[in-house]
Amino acid sequence: MNDKTAGFEEVAHTADLEIRVWGKDLVSLFKQAAVGMLHLSGVEELEEGISFVKQNITLEAMDYEGLLILFLEELLYRLTEEYMIFEVGKLSISSEFTLKAQLKGTQIKSYQRDIKAVTYHNLNIRSTPQGYEVNIVFDI
Amino acid sequence: MVSIQDLKKINSYEWEIPQSYRPDMRVPVRIFASKELLQDVSRDKSLEQAVNATSLPGLVGSVMVMPDMHQGYGFPIGGVAATRYPDGVISPGGIGYDINCGVRLLGSRLTYQETKPYLNELATSLNQFCPSGVGTGGHHRLTTKEVEQVCREGSDWAKKSGFASDQDLRRTEEGGHIRGADPRHLSPRALKRGTDQVGSLGAGNHFIEIDLVEKIFDPRAAQAMGLQEGDLALQIHCGSRGLGHQVCSDYVKSLQAAVHRFGIVLPDRELVCAPMDSPEGEAYLSAMRCAANYAFANRQVLSHYAREAFESVLAGKVNDWHLHQVYDVAHNIGKIETHLIEGKSIQVCVHRKGATRAFGPGAADLPSEYKKIGQPVLVPGSMGTSSWVLRGTEEAMQRSLGSCCHGAGRVMSRTKAKKTIWGEDLRKQLEKDGITIRARSMSGLAEEAPAAYKDVDLVVDTVTNAGIAAKVALLKPLVVIKG
Repeated sequence: MNDKTAGFEEVAHTADLEIRVWGKDLVSLFKQAAVGMLHLSGVEELEEGISFVKQNITLEAMDYEGLLILFLEELLYRLTEEYMIFEVGKLSISSEFTLKAQLKGTQIKSYQRDIKAVTYHNLNIRSTPQGYEVNIVFDI
Repeated sequence: MVSIQDLKKINSYEWEIPQSYRPDMRVPVRIFASKELLQDVSRDKSLEQAVNATSLPGLVGSVMVMPDMHQGYGFPIGGVAATRYPDGVISPGGIGYDINCGVRLLGSRLTYQETKPYLNELATSLNQFCPSGVGTGGHHRLTTKEVEQVCREGSDWAKKSGFASDQDLRRTEEGGHIRGADPRHLSPRALKRGTDQVGSLGAGNHFIEIDLVEKIFDPRAAQAMGLQEGDLALQIHCGSRGLGHQVCSDYVKSLQAAVHRFGIVLPDRELVCAPMDSPEGEAYLSAMRCAANYAFANRQVLSHYAREAFESVLAGKVNDWHLHQVYDVAHNIGKIETHLIEGKSIQVCVHRKGATRAFGPGAADLPSEYKKIGQPVLVPGSMGTSSWVLRGTEEAMQRSLGSCCHGAGRVMSRTKAKKTIWGEDLRKQLEKDGITIRARSMSGLAEEAPAAYKDVDLVVDTVTNAGIAAKVALLKPLVVIKG
């Protein structure tokens, strides 16, 4: 998934996990952050006789950072409580900080790592010549 | 970034970052560390995070960091900060996502010699009786009403349900039941996550360990705790599971707006907070207590199953297989306590994040048997290394808000640990050292390798030399169960 315009990488953190995510616009940044978080949770195998679930979510926050946390928390809750991983389809982010996303979910059997939370620690979406980037710390 | 040159030496084990270091500091930072341990600290961002924490409104004294400190998010791990009650703030990020993550120690009259032939069987049995691992719940499925009851009553719920004795409760911080916990302040998601996780260990750095009491340093205190050289003991390290994580997430989110309303400017959004006398602050305090009670109940139910595991293996083979409670302490929590600060006795909220309460002799919350010796302080080492039983001192009350270190403290990132250490090799090495391991994940094992942590003995030497705790017993691991 990583290329010049969008991707993520792990950054060393003494106790928890941190990723740096980049994207050409906010939509690709948010999608990469979701992919990065799933990578950290180490999703292993899909349930046999895969069932797809479609969901639409709408989230509102005070700023883009808050929206990013809400979005990742929604996906994390579904992973840990429902054993569902979601592919993010159509995603829109408005300048009033509303996010609308179409999610396509698949049941999984297990995952490798409990992520306790997505933190606000030094969370700052920065604009770069190529688009946007952000570092996210996960408590594990 | 804070460097060692910015620190003022108070004595060999105490250092200060003066309030003049940065304009937004409201109080200084006090660091408990030997020079050797300071070298580790200066490699990550823990001191910078401690400086950030000094910006919270209503702080009194100084923000303290213990020698096991390391980089966290918001507060550093190993941080202790007191805010004036009730007009000072409470900060969810200063307590952490795993609310009332803590340690419980159970002692026994089982000698190593008589139990040695059964250790492997005990490992298997503990692993079966005490559910652990990523996404694994406990043996019980509770209704929402029952989860609310657990949150209100903590270990008292466990006792009513047949999982606890009077002595267990008496020998738990706050009796395992913090008052003022109203589940109406919990979100539906938090309650839902609590339905199936009571009595489950979880994963990460959580563990159950059978230890050998290798050396006694303070016979009088050890006797009061029922610890004897050559006997076995059991440690349980875990917290409030998904319910606690959800509480912290919910309130870090909702307080983002509150800080604007109260005009509080912070260097890191993870430090969001609210005055304890505001509706937002009161709601979080209450929700946090719910999660703390859930964690006390969780460790209590796990103790019950650990006792059953011991009984299933040892009944009929040894005389006395009972595991008695030594103590249970929280190391991620906010507590309203009265302390003498700058000559005045005041009520404060002590945030302990990766720090343990360490009350000295005579403290009101201690059971009669510990009144003379001080509170047992449990300091687990990293996997495969020693753990320590300490006791709180009068000096801790005067100098560290009755607080102490909580463990070894990480020095190596998980990513690096996984790259440099192979889980299977580590397991073989530990087994060669005479430690039986049951682990669900080999990569998880590698992340928790001893090399990723500081030397717990150095950490303990620092707090005891600083006078904020005294050594009681040294424990050596025999069996480790990891999620």
